[in-house]
Amino acid sequence: MSIAAVTLPSICSQIFNCAFPVRATVSTGVTNTSNLAIEGRNLSYAITAKNGKLVPILNDCSLCIPSGQLWMLLGPNGCGKSTLLKILAGLLNPTHGAVYVKRPRSFVFQNPDHQVVMPTVEADVAFGLGKFNLTHNEVKSRVTKALHAVGMSDYLQRPVQTLSGGQKQRVAIAGALAESCKVLLLDELTTFLDESDQIGVIKAVKNSLSGSEEVTALWVTHRLEELEYADGAVYMENGNVVMHGTPSSIMGFLKERISSYTNRINP
Amino acid sequence: MNSTGVRTLPALLFHSPSPNTQHSIRKTLALPKLSPPNLPQLNHKPLLFLSLESSKIVRARGFGIRCSSGDDASEGGSKWARWLPKGVVAERVLRLISGATSSPIGQYVSSPTTFLHSVDPRIKLVWLLALVVLPARSHIVMRFGLVIYLALLSIWVLPKQLWMDQLGRVGLLSGVLFVMLGLGSDSAPSLVQLRTPPPAMINLPSLPSSFSGYSYLVMKLGPLQLTRKGLSVASTSACLTFTIFQSASLCLATTTPEKLASALRWFMLPLTAVGVPVAEIILTLLLSLRFINLVFDEVRNAALGIVARRINWQQLTIMETFDIFVTYVRRIFKNIFSHAEQISQAMIVRGFRGDSRNHKIYFLSDSSLGMPDIIASLCLVGLIGAAVLSEVILSGAIRILSCELIRGLGFIEEDCYPAFSPLQDDGAGRKRIIT
Repeated sequence: MSIAAVTLPSICSQIFNCAFPVRATVSTGVTNTSNLAIEGRNLSYAITAKNGKLVPILNDCSLCIPSGQLWMLLGPNGCGKSTLLKILAGLLNPTHGAVYVKRPRSFVFQNPDHQVVMPTVEADVAFGLGKFNLTHNEVKSRVTKALHAVGMSDYLQRPVQTLSGGQKQRVAIAGALAESCKVLLLDELTTFLDESDQIGVIKAVKNSLSGSEEVTALWVTHRLEELEYADGAVYMENGNVVMHGTPSSIMGFLKERISSYTNRINP
Repeated sequence: MNSTGVRTLPALLFHSPSPNTQHSIRKTLALPKLSPPNLPQLNHKPLLFLSLESSKIVRARGFGIRCSSGDDASEGGSKWARWLPKGVVAERVLRLISGATSSPIGQYVSSPTTFLHSVDPRIKLVWLLALVVLPARSHIVMRFGLVIYLALLSIWVLPKQLWMDQLGRVGLLSGVLFVMLGLGSDSAPSLVQLRTPPPAMINLPSLPSSFSGYSYLVMKLGPLQLTRKGLSVASTSACLTFTIFQSASLCLATTTPEKLASALRWFMLPLTAVGVPVAEIILTLLLSLRFINLVFDEVRNAALGIVARRINWQQLTIMETFDIFVTYVRRIFKNIFSHAEQISQAMIVRGFRGDSRNHKIYFLSDSSLGMPDIIASLCLVGLIGAAVLSEVILSGAIRILSCELIRGLGFIEEDCYPAFSPLQDDGAGRKRIIT
């Protein structure tokens, strides 16, 4: 099935029993559950192996992310986080299910060397704007603002290969921000980074979200310490969405699993 | 983990396929560990240090350490083993690659911002063209003048470490070229030139030395000689090499790739009228400039991966060493293609749909002409003028002087007054004016 850009109003309240935090975005201050930026229902994805057999990667995954929030997608390696994110970005077509993601959306790859395509910082941030018909001044202003948001204002003309991994990652995020996208899909941005760069990149994303209530981010990670920056989280295992809720509930769930595992191996 | 600081994996037993060998071959597989210097030395030397991944390669590719059973065979083995390559060269090559920079091609230096940084890239491109053409067509004085000018400009503009590195390499290359061509281009004249007897033998007065100090032979070093022709060839080649490399390095160090691409696009825009895909060419150029560093990174990282395995090269045969190099090249290509695929995906995500005309490339640098551009343009005009004048004045004056001298003796070179003087062969291979 191809990606269905269908509107699924308040589908999450129907398909999920779990309560998740939804920030009010309407002037009345009433919680609006229909204000969703990302919604996926019964998403499945499989690939065909060399012997012709279908290998399932995702099984019946459903999730919904409210607008203006930073959500984390957690899970062990190989559980299907990146595949789910690529489906949300439109890079892969689900074999089954429906998906809705607000437009415009941006995807930031795990490895910044895959994302940054131009030789210098400002040219790369401006690359994504090529699809719009913008004036020179408007492009310049967007590039400056995006680089300022990620703390890279002083690196306008720096060759990309001279930047550190964290700086490249910030340039990649700035490229996504410059497009004024409503949804940021971020795939394990902090994998190659040290602690200071890791915090720097998370804060850069948080800053960009605080600047506009329209911007939503879904951050794939397997670092539990990053949960403290999130407004909500989804936990995956073996291609299934296991849990969907607040960071504290996910953390509690994971701690419980860790302790039960520890008790099992050390009776 | 053992006491030597090497975490040893369970040893794998490789059963020998040969019926003659009754024992199996033991391979010690060990994960290399960066052990502190105070740890004791290894008591035994592992046959081959391999990581888990390389152990897979071992099994997949089936290479192993040859062995034979029996005393005779081991003696024979020791004889031919002496002729095996020791693998030191392979290791050195890989170590050299793994330690190389990922930006071997001239890189933009953003600070300190100099006069050259503010010159318009279009003017720089014209300068580059002039610096390629002028050394080939101008007088020797002009050629060396250009070299000195470029060297001084590099010292002025670039940081010390950079100009020392650049000038050192380019200077060495040009110097080697100069010496080889200078001494080699005209050093074996006796075989190709006329063999005439000395003037005294044919009752002719000896040729007097030139009044202006002219001599075809500039310098003699044993069997080698530096002649005017050799000097001309050597100076042209060496100066041309120097100016091309150094001017390009200087241009790349003071201009961002985008500015260069924008200047190139400006020059190429008229070609769109005849159907040249200028937008595509410029986008390809920019992607290539980005991709070059990724390729060098991949080459370096793959080499680093092999070096980190601490392979005991001395125990590998030439075919096994070759096999590792083939695996290395395969890995590089695989990684590069993977990179290309990911980058194309990233471009799609960022809105590129394959048509360069519909996806604008914004060049954010200002392209207005300022005082540095005017100064650079005037200098360029001055340089071209000086080159033309030097060619006319210096070459013309020398030629007239030599011709006058030779004419005074009754001899003439063919290229002095070819249109006016009736010439006659004097029987000795020289032309004489008919009087």
